Amino acid sequence: MSKMWTIAYFTFKEIFKSKVLINVFFVGLGLMLVTYVATEFTYGVPEKVALDFGIGMLSLSSLAISLFLGVTLLSKEIDSRTVYMVISRPVPRYAFIIGKIFGLLGVQLVNVILLGGMTILVVNILGGNLSPLIFWCVGFIFLESILLLLVVLLVSLFANNILTTLFSIIILILGHAVKETQNINFVKRNPFFEYLLEFYHYFLPAFYKLNIKDFLIYKNNLNSDYLFLNLSYGLLYSLFLGILIILIFNRKNLD
Amino acid sequence: MIELKNVTKVFKSDLLTQPFIALDDVSFNIPEASMVGFLGANGAGKTTSLKIIMDFIRPTSGIVNFEPSLGSTKEEVFQNIGFLPERPYFYPSLSGEDFLLFMGKLSGMNRSQILSEVGEWAPRFKIDHALKREIKTYSKGMLQRIGFLATIIHHPKLVILDEPLSGLDPIGRKELKDVIIEVHKQGKTIFFSSHIVPDVEEICDRVIFLKDGKLIYNGAVGELISNSNDSEYLLTVKIADGVNLVTPFKQLTLLPDNLRRYIVDAALKEAFIRDVIDKKGDIISLEMKKPSLEEIFYKTKSMGDLS
Repeated sequence: MSKMWTIAYFTFKEIFKSKVLINVFFVGLGLMLVTYVATEFTYGVPEKVALDFGIGMLSLSSLAISLFLGVTLLSKEIDSRTVYMVISRPVPRYAFIIGKIFGLLGVQLVNVILLGGMTILVVNILGGNLSPLIFWCVGFIFLESILLLLVVLLVSLFANNILTTLFSIIILILGHAVKETQNINFVKRNPFFEYLLEFYHYFLPAFYKLNIKDFLIYKNNLNSDYLFLNLSYGLLYSLFLGILIILIFNRKNLD
Repeated sequence: MIELKNVTKVFKSDLLTQPFIALDDVSFNIPEASMVGFLGANGAGKTTSLKIIMDFIRPTSGIVNFEPSLGSTKEEVFQNIGFLPERPYFYPSLSGEDFLLFMGKLSGMNRSQILSEVGEWAPRFKIDHALKREIKTYSKGMLQRIGFLATIIHHPKLVILDEPLSGLDPIGRKELKDVIIEVHKQGKTIFFSSHIVPDVEEICDRVIFLKDGKLIYNGAVGELISNSNDSEYLLTVKIADGVNLVTPFKQLTLLPDNLRRYIVDAALKEAFIRDVIDKKGDIISLEMKKPSLEEIFYKTKSMGDLS
C-alpha cells in the first residue's frame, strides 16, 4: 500500500514540476478576466455568465488533463523504460498502475479545487446564489474526468498515442450525445439504431449522466435520487474500468 | 543464482506476419558472486532474455528459476535484485535526489537510510554535485551513473545491467567499469549485457554468448580463449639470407641481422620448427599468441558453435 502511495506521490510531483499546473493557474486567471469582460456586456445576469464560463472552463480543462496526460501516462513509462526501473523493485503491477492513476488524479483534484474555487468565488462576488448543486456539478466534473482517464488508459493498453486520443474523444462525444440521439425521430423509426444505442448503454460509458451543467445554470435544482443514482453509476463504472485495467496490465507483455 | 531452463520466446505481432523466434531453447545459469558478461550482436536476444528474467514479458516455453538465497516469493526475489534497463530515461522533472528517494522507497527503505546510502555512494559516482538538479539537465554519463546508483541503493545480491556501457565515452566507460568492479568486490553477483567485447573481457570472469537467439557459449572467459582453435604462434628465427621455408605461415616480418618473425598456425607449429632446423636456422623465440575475446566473438558471427 505504501509503495502505491509512493508512486502516486512522485507521479504527482513529476507532473506538478513539469509546470502543467502553471497552465491551470493561467487558465484560472483567464477565466476571471473573461468573466469580468463578459459580465460588462451582460444585462441582469452576470452571475449566470460567470457560472457558465467557470463551469465550462473547469470541465474543459479537466477533460484535457485526463485526455492528454492520460494518453502518455503509461506509454511514456514503457517507451522510456522507466516502468522497468519501478516494477523491477518489489512492487506489484497493480500498485504501479493504481499509483500512477492516483498521482494524475491528484493533479486533477488540484485543478478542480483551483478552478472550481475561483468560479465559486467569482459567482459569490457577483451576488449569485450558491446552491448545493454547484458542488455536485464540480464533483460530477471530477468524476467525469476520472471516467475519461480510465477510458484513455484502457484504450492506451492496446493502441498507440494517436489512436488512443482519437478513440477516447469519440467515446467521450458519443457518451455525451447518446441520450439526445435516442430522441431523434430517425432513430426511433429504425429499431436497428435503437438497439445499437441500447447496446451502447450497456457497455460504454454514458458521460451525459455526469453532465448537470444545464440543470445548474438554467434550472438550479435537481432531485437527489437522480444525483445519487448517477453518482453511483459513475463510481461503479470507474471501479469496473479500474479493475479491468489492472487485470489487463497484470498480464501485459511490457516489450 | 538464476537459471534459465529451455527458454523459448516467439514474437508474433499479427496473423499475417511470420513468427519471429527471439530465443530458441536457451538454458544457462548465473553462479553466485560471479561477474558474468552477456554477449551477442544487436538482435541476438540479450534484452529479451533479461526481460524474461525480470518478468516484464513471459516466455513462450521454458522457465526461470531463482535460487532460494534470493528469496521464496516474487517480492523477496525482487528485493534482492537491482536492475538497470538499457538507455533509461528517468522522470525528467524530478531532481536526482528525488529520483533516488523514489527508487529507495520502492525497495522498502526509509528516507534516512536512502540519504545515508546516497551520501556514501554519490561522491564515488561523481554525481553528488548534481543531486539537487533536475534530471533533464544530466549528461548521458550522469544518467547512467545515477541509474546505477539507484540500482544498487538497496544492497541487492544480484545486479542485472542491460548495456550499461553503451553510448558512454571512454572516460565514462572507465568510471562506470571501476564502480561495477567495486560493487562486485563487495560480494555481489553482476550480470550485464553488452556488445562491447573488450569491456566484458576486461572485467568478467564468465561469459554467455548468444547468436540469433541461440546459446553458443556459457562458461569462463579464460577457458573460452584457451580452448579456442584459433591459437597462433609467434616465432623469431635466425636464418641465412636467401633460404626459403616451405611450411605455410600467416605473416612474415623481416628484421635486421638475418632475423625473421613469423606468425604460424598452431597446427603447423611443429612442421615449421622442423623446417627451420632442416634449413640450419635457429629458433630465437617462440611465443603463443592467443586471440582476444573480441576476435573470437567476431568469428562466431560467421561461424557456428563455440562450445
